[in-house]
Amino acid sequence: MYSTAHPRDYPACSGCSLCRLVCPMWRSHRDPRFSPEGLAKARQNGAAVTELADVLDACVLCGACDPVCPENIDLGGMIMDLRRDVPARPEQAALQTGYRKAAAAPDAAPAGALLLPGAALRADAGLLARVLELLGIGCATDDGADIALALEIGGAIDPGRRRSFLDMLGGRTLVVGDGLLLRELRHWLPGARLQGLGEALGNLGAIRRRIASADFYVVEARAYHADHERLVAHYDALRKESGCSMNLDLQRIAIPGCDEAEASWMLKGRRPARILVESPAEREVFRCVAGVPVLHLAELAAPNEEMHNA
Amino acid sequence: MAPDALQGIVRQQTNAARWNGAGWPDFVAALCAAGVEVAESAATRGIFATDAGGTAYGLPHGVVVARSAAQVAGLLQAAQAHRVPVTVRGGGLTTEGESVAYGGVLLDMTGMSRVLAIDADALTVRTEAGIYWHGLAEELRRAGLDYLSAPLNMTSSVGGTLGVGGIDVNSARLGCSADQAISLQVVTPTGEIVECSDSENAELFQRVILGYGQFGVITEATLKIRPYTPLSMHYYYYSTLRSAIEDLQMLDANDASDYSGILTIMDCAVNLLVAFDSSEREAAFKANWEQRLRGHGEFGFALCMAGHYALRPWKAGEALYLLKRKQAVFPEFRRPEFHRDGRMEDRTVVFSRAVWKHWGSRNMVIPDLATSADKFIDAVERGNAVCRKFFPHYTLYCVGIKLRPEHKPHYEMSCVPPDAEGWAYGCEFEPMIEDAVYSRDHFQSFKNAIYDIGVDLGASYYRFGGMMKGYIRRVFGDALVDKHLAMKRRADPAMILNRDVIF
Ligand SMILES: Cc1cc2nc3c(=O)[nH]c(=O)nc-3n(C[C@H](O)[C@H](O)[C@H](O)COP(=O)(O)OP(=O)(O)OC[C@H]3O[C@@H](n4cnc5c(N)ncnc54)[C@H](O)[C@@H]3O)c2cc1C
Repeated sequence: MYSTAHPRDYPACSGCSLCRLVCPMWRSHRDPRFSPEGLAKARQNGAAVTELADVLDACVLCGACDPVCPENIDLGGMIMDLRRDVPARPEQAALQTGYRKAAAAPDAAPAGALLLPGAALRADAGLLARVLELLGIGCATDDGADIALALEIGGAIDPGRRRSFLDMLGGRTLVVGDGLLLRELRHWLPGARLQGLGEALGNLGAIRRRIASADFYVVEARAYHADHERLVAHYDALRKESGCSMNLDLQRIAIPGCDEAEASWMLKGRRPARILVESPAEREVFRCVAGVPVLHLAELAAPNEEMHNA
Repeated sequence: MAPDALQGIVRQQTNAARWNGAGWPDFVAALCAAGVEVAESAATRGIFATDAGGTAYGLPHGVVVARSAAQVAGLLQAAQAHRVPVTVRGGGLTTEGESVAYGGVLLDMTGMSRVLAIDADALTVRTEAGIYWHGLAEELRRAGLDYLSAPLNMTSSVGGTLGVGGIDVNSARLGCSADQAISLQVVTPTGEIVECSDSENAELFQRVILGYGQFGVITEATLKIRPYTPLSMHYYYYSTLRSAIEDLQMLDANDASDYSGILTIMDCAVNLLVAFDSSEREAAFKANWEQRLRGHGEFGFALCMAGHYALRPWKAGEALYLLKRKQAVFPEFRRPEFHRDGRMEDRTVVFSRAVWKHWGSRNMVIPDLATSADKFIDAVERGNAVCRKFFPHYTLYCVGIKLRPEHKPHYEMSCVPPDAEGWAYGCEFEPMIEDAVYSRDHFQSFKNAIYDIGVDLGASYYRFGGMMKGYIRRVFGDALVDKHLAMKRRADPAMILNRDVIF
């Protein structure tokens, strides 16, 4: 049996290739180098990080490889670590500076449970308002967008900044819109009550009731894979209850809606009446490839409905 | 190591010799001029340093990712001209180094892994041959269809499997994967692109099917498919191998189930699995066959075991191991997300996950014996005794393979034993390596001890190539091997294609 020690690093990769089956960058390149296995093997064979820049750039950090690795290697973490040694693109660096400035003087966070919307949801004010109303919780003005971007691009995270951010969150129930930030918060705040946006909305009766068997439901991959063991049951129940189909493959790994190719692959051979997404960013991707209505989960319920029900 | 393990074995050099690299730069230049990328970095070559077995090591000089039949043809033509060996690799799930390149080019077929056409009326699929069976299943399921039979391992490829066999838990009914191929596109070792089937270029078809990649690279395949059904699974537990195998063969001979196989924890807990595609078949089994099985249900078996070990306290260690193993493995086969309404949605996902998690390790030696039905119990019992001698813990996996008389020419010099009629039976003997460290000599002696049984019984093996190729002449005899070697020399004058696997 493989070791169950966790987390493990790339030297433990024995090349079983199971990560290729679920990897979007492998699907688009069909080249063994473009896979977590390829990266781990390259490192085992002494490749410098700079030689791997193309592959590291191609990874969408969906985290699909983590739950399938029989060696329990933290493959997502390995890739994020390697990205730290690849210089960020100028536009990414500029964006991060902007986020950092915005986070420098946040308003005081409201008391109680908090939504950390993340950059994509924050960019759609109408949708954000709807989400807040449905969940009935406050919104953090500092949602760690700079930290989330740093995780994404391999940028540095100032320890002081991280500490103050986590202090602000300490002890609260959190709904986190950014899947990558959620992944890290699970490590940084062990024991905290954390939910992804999709799970939180999907637990609302007003939304759950409106998911129909003809719908195609797109699970946000990062949040899902970061807590796969638990969430697989949540989505399985949702699938059974509503009869909808989902972007989960035969291994119950999520195909990420990161680009049009992946979205098209998800929809191949399927004719849904509607597409429901958890991530606002994926709504735009599906609108480009699907000839049917694409709705964010929050758009399923009428505003105020959940509160009235409560 | 067992003192008698090497008895009667001529110690031959079975590890392939590394190719010396003569003419490599000219060869690469020729390929580059033809627009073929050859990856030469250590990082890329290192991906292919070993196979699933993890005991054979070799680095290619360069890697080519297959993109089209024309590109593969160009590669093989150049390889013939420059006498550069080409090793083809699909999933790389061999364990004897058959898909490891000891120099030369490693041709990675997974670059050709797209489904080309599904014909739901004719129930056929045309696919590129580097596709993983799991990838094929993902596409077929969208159309409510499924492949017939494939290895219970998600990362085996169609092309690699058609060349070696492909055994599923429905093979006792539907035959091996290689029997599901209707036609193939093959690039011959000299670089011609040829379509072949039982009616078109039949001789090539016969040699490529179950041919261990000796007579061509399979680039596309047309396979039979069927409507998809989830399956309902039943488990029966035995404390002896003999009674479980007798019951397995009884079920197979009477077409009493759609799926059947034996999976064990050593020889103490022997699990006969029986499964069905439809409620009708399940009901017929329950009415006619179930009461004839001598196995117990899980609870009944637990009681038997408790009684057995209560009377043998000195075997407490074994009892504890069985209990621990049961607790670890059983839930894996019952995970709710892979079942709906009590039916298993995808057997390969469930078994493959369990295999990698609970049987896999960085070193895997899985010697096997393939025999006719009547020799099978003897083979398994003798193999089991060898396992007991070499390893504290191990597992056996037994399954039947329905043979197709009209495919006899396909079976020549393959894993199908020459004397088998109706069904062949295979047993894999897999030690649990766990955290132990064994030398290569220990593994090799174990494999030899198992393979010696095959020589003695007149059996065959699923994994007879690579490091075990020393057995090929002993089991098949010089006349047959020389006949195939002559065919190989005609088809592959420079002997470049998968040259270390068989001959
Ligand atoms: C953990 C584990 C579980 C397994 N379970 C099963 C099982 O349940 N049933 C079963 O039948 N087998 C099983 N096997 C064995 C393995 O699945 C088979 O060997 C497998 O089908 C081979 O497919 P592959 O794509 O990995 O081939 P590879 O290992 O890549 O290649 C096999 C041989 O075929 C050649 N080859 C590969 N692709 C091509 C091609 N396109 N054209 C021509 N030649 C080619 C290679 O050179 C090599 O000689 C298992 C192996 C392991 C390690």
